[in-house]
Amino acid sequence: MTFKHCLIILGFLMLLQGAEAQSFNSLLGDESILYAQTKQMNQFFRRFNAEESTSGDRYYPGDNNYRSNDLRRRYLNILFDNQNASMTDLLRNQFVSDVMNPGAPAYLDFHGGQWFAEVTTRFLYMGKEESVTLFMKLESENQGHKWVISNVYFSKFQQMFNDQENGEQHFLHPLSHELDFMNLVKVFKDKNYVEQYTSGEYHPDYLTLFLYEFKKGSLVFKTVTGVKFHFFQVPGWYFEVSEFNRPGTNAGWLISTMMKLNENDKDLLLKYLYHE
Amino acid sequence: MIKVRTILALLAICFAGSGLMAQDQISPSRKQAIDSLALEKVRDLSKYISIVGNKDTPWSEANRVIERTLELFADGAMMGVSTLNSQDINYYGIREYLERLMALNYDKVNIQWYNIQYISDLERQPDGRYVGVITIYQRFEGTTKEGLRYVDVTKKDVTVYVERKTTQISGRIIGFWDVLLGDIRVTETKPGN
Repeated sequence: MTFKHCLIILGFLMLLQGAEAQSFNSLLGDESILYAQTKQMNQFFRRFNAEESTSGDRYYPGDNNYRSNDLRRRYLNILFDNQNASMTDLLRNQFVSDVMNPGAPAYLDFHGGQWFAEVTTRFLYMGKEESVTLFMKLESENQGHKWVISNVYFSKFQQMFNDQENGEQHFLHPLSHELDFMNLVKVFKDKNYVEQYTSGEYHPDYLTLFLYEFKKGSLVFKTVTGVKFHFFQVPGWYFEVSEFNRPGTNAGWLISTMMKLNENDKDLLLKYLYHE
Repeated sequence: MIKVRTILALLAICFAGSGLMAQDQISPSRKQAIDSLALEKVRDLSKYISIVGNKDTPWSEANRVIERTLELFADGAMMGVSTLNSQDINYYGIREYLERLMALNYDKVNIQWYNIQYISDLERQPDGRYVGVITIYQRFEGTTKEGLRYVDVTKKDVTVYVERKTTQISGRIIGFWDVLLGDIRVTETKPGN
């Protein structure tokens, strides 16, 4: 390790101790800031769990500082977006305290499920650029893992399947079979009410619809415009992780939103995240 | 041509780690050896990018270096580039990216690499290969004939594929871990205060 390296790591240690970033940045240039930034989600996991040194070297079970409480407390405190005023000191302290509960500390597990990615993309739909949100999750296969598309949100689909709540009831009467369902002609007369003729268990499958439109050529991929992650791995909490590309040390992958969460409210929150 | 130090690194990976796990599992000591080889490939890439971008590099030499750069990559690897002004990712093939770099309309180009890299864990894919990401930072400075200066700092997240392969040496089958680079995500960033 070179002398310069040592100085840089010393600078990052000062940050972890709560020192002003300015004091070492002016001495060492930009690199100390880059050390401090959470550069990959992999690093977010390792820092959250205190599984790497301040120079980014991985700690393994059996290493002295692996999941050390002291290191962990300092890491956790640099993993919040400091510009989000809704994450108050009180809320953060409660979160850190719960995560570091001596009786049941919570660690993030890359393969542990209970987290997923929200990827904002742009597609051409019928020749016009539209935003499409893909929800991705990790899935295991052949002793390995892969990201898969688990859900999709596209406002055009949502609008198409929006229930028409105008009090009108539309149904096929129970003796329609005696007439060879000749009244189906009324079902398919009006696009707005066709869902009312489906089973109460029916839910539109937007992912299938999305794949169908893609295969048909109506949807053409353009680009990815944003990525964030939703975590439900810490009991009693939900948090979101986003990437902050901005100057300074409070940048990279950080907790952008967090809230206490009763297990009963989880489905409600998921529905909200999926725009259902 | 494979360099001597690459061969040494390959051999190091063949024999690294006394506490080896199952044949296709990667122990911490073996991971360290693989990291070294992967980092060496990323450093080669950094060096090649600097040569290709340098306006003093003769055209024929730059083309030769582009061919060598392509040997570092798995087939189909792409560069995904975004800027501070736009989150959109623009996609380029590696050759296209390098040729664009070579053709940049500056009189003088200076490419420097920050003395920092971050190496992720290796994750196993369904096809049995392992994948990791190495993050590096580059400072680009281009000056036009008129003296106009353009500077950017980019974060480069480089995909690294690690694959178990075998080779025959003096009639013996020797297993080793080979490393190839994959897609690279290039993000313009502002690390300053």
